[in-house]
Formats: sequence, structure tokens, C-alpha cells
Amino acid sequence: MEKSIETIWKEGFLKSDALIAPKLNNLYNQKSKHIIDKFKRMFKMNLILIVLGSFIVLGASFIVGIPYLGVPMFFILNVLVILNKKLLNTLMLIDKSTNSYDYLMAFDVWLKSQVSINKKFARFLYPFIFLSLIIGFWMKIEEGQRIGTHAVNKLLLTYPDLNLLFGVPVIGIIGALLITGILVLLGGKIYEWDLKIVYGRVFNKLDEIIADIKELKA
Amino acid sequence: MSSDFYTTQILPYAAIIIKMCRAYTNSQEDFEDYYQEVCLQIWRSSENFNQQSEWSTWIYRISLNVCLTLLKKKKNNKQHFASDYLPPELVEDSHAFEDESLNQLYDAIRQLSEIDRGVILLYLEEKSYQEIAEIIGTNPNNIGVRIKRIKERLKKILS
Repeated sequence: MEKSIETIWKEGFLKSDALIAPKLNNLYNQKSKHIIDKFKRMFKMNLILIVLGSFIVLGASFIVGIPYLGVPMFFILNVLVILNKKLLNTLMLIDKSTNSYDYLMAFDVWLKSQVSINKKFARFLYPFIFLSLIIGFWMKIEEGQRIGTHAVNKLLLTYPDLNLLFGVPVIGIIGALLITGILVLLGGKIYEWDLKIVYGRVFNKLDEIIADIKELKA
Repeated sequence: MSSDFYTTQILPYAAIIIKMCRAYTNSQEDFEDYYQEVCLQIWRSSENFNQQSEWSTWIYRISLNVCLTLLKKKKNNKQHFASDYLPPELVEDSHAFEDESLNQLYDAIRQLSEIDRGVILLYLEEKSYQEIAEIIGTNPNNIGVRIKRIKERLKKILS
């Protein structure tokens, strides 16, 4: 007589040794590789977006008449991309065939070095962008005159005793230098915030996996 | 996940996870991935276990949800493996068990829809309609009819 599915199920598991649980040694291999691959994809995409953005800024700056803003921005953004592309190339060298703990730790070391280099660069990048903005708008020509010169002339009408240095109000130079100084000091922090916004979830996941593996190894 | 948690809270119920994962995978490699993911999720969500249901029911629920999620992810990623297109007799998992009838039954179960696989597994595990409905998240009144239909389909496939 043909067996019912209930009987097949019951009898099958009685004599089967297939209910032996697989070992958990491979538990984190795929997870860690997946999370690092995700980071690589995001990182690459981020670089592509920065390059695209730099071209848009460059083009737009010429259209709007602020090339003194567009050209330095284009330059600095591409330096940033080249620097990070080089860092990404070193990430690709990490051996994927190693166990997940070593792989994650190697990635973590890479990440820390990448963050450290970018933090240093950010102390230069943000002030550079700020000064490009100032100079870019200052040099923009409107009605045959630079906006900066036009603004100074207007100020001189109200404050005739205004101290100027190379045609720029000293108070303005001090203000700009002060903000530049603050950006130099806070550049690293700003980069960290930026990083958290873009990669925060990936980093949290990574920390979780590393903590899990450490607990498992303990 | 501590090895202690795995040994005391998961390993005694490993049979549930194995039975469930086998129904959603075609290869030993996939099976091990699914098994590991289920274990990880059980550990992660163990804090949310409110003891209103039995621990084993909780494990059934998580196993099923994880299997369904992974299968969906696999489909979305269009990660088709060679084994996805192989006839049952050539699929590695077709020989997962010593008992040939059980292997054939699993091959048949794998031809069912994703939810129906879960329903029939829970039925074969002698869960009540109420429990099946709770785990699947459906109305218990429909379960009986559904099981009848699934059994007929399985009979057809097996014959």
C-alpha cells in the first residue's frame, strides 16, 4: 500500500541522520563579505557622483559667470576623488579568501587609515571650498564691475573710514580668515559627520558583526 | 552569538530549522547559509521573545520568515544557481536524507509555492491549525482547506 505523506515524514526522520546540524564556522563569512562589498559599491558610487558633481559645478560656474568658484572646486573635488580611488585600489588588495574575522579586521584597519587620511585632507578641503566660494562670488562681474568691488563701493558710502587691504575691507579679511581657521580646526569633525550620514548604517552593521565574531571567538 | 546560547537554545531545536531550510533550498551550500542565517536571527531576536508562545513555535516562525526573506532576496537579486534549473533527480539536496521516500517528498514540497511549503511542513510537524495560522499569520479557518489542497497536489506530484 502506498505510504501517506505523514508516514513518509515520520519514518524518514526516524532513520535519517540528516538532522545533524551543520557547523557554524561559516556563519559570518558571507555576511562580512556582503557588508564589505556593499561598502565598496557605495564608495565607488560616491566617487562617481563627486566626479559628476565636479563637472556640473565647473559647467554651471562658467554659465553663471563664476569660474573662479567652479575651477578650484573642480580641481579640489577631483584631487579628492584621485586620493580616494588610490585608497580604494588598496582595499581591493585585501585577501577575500581569508577567514571572516581576519577579513573584517583587515578591512577595519583599511577603514581607519582611509578615515585618518581623509580627515587630514578635510582640514584643507572645507576651507578651500569656503575660500573658493568667497573668491568666486567676489570676482563675478555684474554690470561691468566685480560684485566684490561693487559691494565695497557701497560700503564706503556708508562707512567712508573703512580700512581696506588690496581693496578688500580688513574686517572682511579677518572674518574670512576666522571662518577659514574654524574650518581648518573642524574639517576632520565635519568629515566624520559626512561619513556618518553616508555610511553610518554600513559601519554600524560592520561593528555589530565584528562584535558578534569576537563574542563567538571568546 | 555565544556558543552557550547556540548549544542550549538552538541546537535542541535544530531539527525544526533543518527541516524548514531543506524545503527552501536546492543545494547543501544554500542550506547551510539558510541554517546559519536562521540561527543568527533567532539569537538576534531572542530578546523579543515574549513567552506567550512556546520557544519551539518561535523558532518555527523565525525559520519560516528567514527562509521566505532569503528566497525573496535571492529572487530579487536574480542570483540563480545552476541547481535552480536542474530536474529534482539531479539536485544535490535530493539526496540529503537516507530515506529515499523522504527525499522524494522534499522534492515535491519544493515544487509548492513558498507559503504552501511552510504550511505543509508545519502540518507534518503536527502543529494545530491554530498554531499554523499564528506562525503563518493567517486565518485558522482557511488552513484546513489549504492543507487538503496541498496534500492533493503533493500526491499528484509524487505519483
